[in-house]
Amino acid sequence: MLATVDSCVLAGLEARRVEVQADSANGETKFFLVGLAATSVKEARERVRSAIKNSGLDFPRKRLTVNLAPAEMRKEGSGLDLPIAIAIALAEVGKRAPARSAFLGELALDGAVRHVDGVLVAARCLKRLGFDRFFVPAADASEAALIEGLEVIPCEHLAGVFAHLLGQTLIAPQFFTDVAPDATAGILDTDLAEVHGQEEARRAIEVAAAGGHHLLLSGAPGSGKTMLARCLPGILPPLELPEAFEVAQVRSLLGDLLPGRPLDWTRPFRAPHHGVSMAGLIGGGSGFAMPGEISRANHGVLFLDELAEFQAPVLQALRQPLETGRVTITRSGGSVTYPARFTLVAATNPCPCGWLGDPVRTCRCTQAVVDGYQRRLSGPLLDRIDLQVGVRRVPLVELAAEPRGEPSLAVRDRVLAARARQQARQGCLNAQLKPSRLRHLAAMEPGSKRTLERWSEQKGLTARGFHRAWRVARTAADLEGTELIADRHVLEALGYRLHDVAA
Amino acid sequence: MTSPLDLSTLNTRGRWPPPDGPRVAIVGSRRPSPYGEAVAEQLAADLARAGVIVVSGLALGCDAAAHRGALVGGGVTVAVMGTGVDIVYPAAHFRLAEEIVAAGGALVSQFPDGTSPRRRNFPARNVTLAALSDVVVVVEAVQGSGALITAEAALDLHKEVMAVPGSIFSPLSVGTHALIRDGAGLVQNARDVLAALGVGREVLDDPLGAPKRLGFALPAERDGILLHLSDVLAVSTAELARKLHLPVAEVLGRLTSLELDGAVRRHGAGYVRALRTGKD
Repeated sequence: MLATVDSCVLAGLEARRVEVQADSANGETKFFLVGLAATSVKEARERVRSAIKNSGLDFPRKRLTVNLAPAEMRKEGSGLDLPIAIAIALAEVGKRAPARSAFLGELALDGAVRHVDGVLVAARCLKRLGFDRFFVPAADASEAALIEGLEVIPCEHLAGVFAHLLGQTLIAPQFFTDVAPDATAGILDTDLAEVHGQEEARRAIEVAAAGGHHLLLSGAPGSGKTMLARCLPGILPPLELPEAFEVAQVRSLLGDLLPGRPLDWTRPFRAPHHGVSMAGLIGGGSGFAMPGEISRANHGVLFLDELAEFQAPVLQALRQPLETGRVTITRSGGSVTYPARFTLVAATNPCPCGWLGDPVRTCRCTQAVVDGYQRRLSGPLLDRIDLQVGVRRVPLVELAAEPRGEPSLAVRDRVLAARARQQARQGCLNAQLKPSRLRHLAAMEPGSKRTLERWSEQKGLTARGFHRAWRVARTAADLEGTELIADRHVLEALGYRLHDVAA
Repeated sequence: MTSPLDLSTLNTRGRWPPPDGPRVAIVGSRRPSPYGEAVAEQLAADLARAGVIVVSGLALGCDAAAHRGALVGGGVTVAVMGTGVDIVYPAAHFRLAEEIVAAGGALVSQFPDGTSPRRRNFPARNVTLAALSDVVVVVEAVQGSGALITAEAALDLHKEVMAVPGSIFSPLSVGTHALIRDGAGLVQNARDVLAALGVGREVLDDPLGAPKRLGFALPAERDGILLHLSDVLAVSTAELARKLHLPVAEVLGRLTSLELDGAVRRHGAGYVRALRTGKD
């Protein structure tokens, strides 16, 4: 008998349909698995044989052939265990699989259905391919149930799934997962109220949050750069539904979702160590590339502490995603594109020992070492960071006397208002405005335009740097609720360009 | 410390020996405050106008400011190098070295041509620098600075050492203040140096008519921001905002505006007052 069951394999954030065909015919007892299966899929033979036997079902004592179609596409992962077992079991009893239904899941030897990564991505794509019903591991059911209009059948055990298919004991479908935003989202344990002093950096973080600008914090060790960076997610609005969905899909691929709570409304905050590899930061791996830190930070914050210590090629690779908000990686399996629209917060010491410019301690680095250190920060990368501020170390004895600032919630209200203005005016954040649109959407008073031009002449600004300052001025005006950009906004924006001066 | 050097074996480029006249070494930190840099430049310019030959080490910071000042003052200046005279270190001073030679000065070195920068060569260079000068003026120096080696060598050679005072809050003043405490002459302007040289009265007169030029000029007052800034230590935007009771964004904007006018400069994580020197 022949039975056909549908499933899929993942290629980045896309799923490709796979037809699992099982045929048992007279002949020597053998089990063939064909159709360009990678090692992880070939091993399915052993798992499936045991799982079927231990589920009280009959494994055919015949010549059994399982074909994975289309045969030219390489298949990887353990998610095909369940559809293969179902196809064999159905072929044995001479039944057909239900129409427009797909299966995904790994099998344990006792027949239990185990978690697989990427169920949310698979569910989204299967729905688009016209499927109505999706059999998934029970552990991943809430994730698949985020897709509206797809009946999700949570599978605990192979025997239960088979009984359901034969109409003996039905499994109740998983309810559609509630996607109401969580009111407490975005409240993190790091609050701006805990930051003493540092008014300039606080303001820069507010501007960064309001306009989606990248930020560089430069200062001596212990000046509070990390703490300031950690405050940024807390003053950003919670994720919107499509954003939370995109975040969840990347996490689904990586198996990072919280069971039972697939949608997280808090903005991601990723802080990879400076030893991170190219594949770790940008994405990579064999076959199809997996998402890296920049995609995990999508719609959130990527914090790179000790920026100058990162490998130069890794930093260079950041340039494309910083401009486009996406990253495309090609590996042997093909090329995949992942979202990578994040706010970059970079922190750096002013020199290797960290004390250059400190009012108390003396820097021990030679000029050549300092120059080399600052060169490593690469002009083209710095040119893409709109806001650059120096963070001054506050001596411990003075720390308590420094005034406390506003709590994050108060700052967040201003950020939300400024973001709302931008959305109403142009449908995107200021940081994403194309230069051609700046002229219409970010009109400057004649005097302020002259100020910007004077600065570019004095400091030799690149065209990119010129537009960056313009965008930041736009955000400063939006925070104030002013449509026309005034001189004070341009001057503030230019105040954040630390490295125009160092260059 | 060291026995007097045989100065006849020096390798030289440019005019050597230099024209007759008193020689004053102006040395200091390679990373001075804007104050120290301005002092070195102004002092050198005034001394050069009075006919003094300014000797320094062609290093970053105070040394370069002294050479530049001497050139601005239309004088002759001598760079005592820790490398061969054919290798300019730091390379960024290539043009400065050419200007020194073009203006009738000289590059001199006790090291053979082709000697590249070596850490151990610079203290020996500092001794030569002292030996070639009649007076050594230290502008700004942290403890253990190379400028202090020059000062010590000068004392061993029975030459006069003088120092410029600075802020007691600045680590750059520690070395110079220690020198003054130990008896070094206090330098407030070029006159003090000329007096120590015992140079004739006629030189003292004209070119130093305006000692007040060594200082800053307050442009049209803007909310007292400039009054709260120092010319030695950087003040952060946040601190200024607190003192002036203004929003930090506004203070940052005004500082940028002052920076555009050349009245303030960034220094470390803050701002300092920019000093007007002999250049303008």
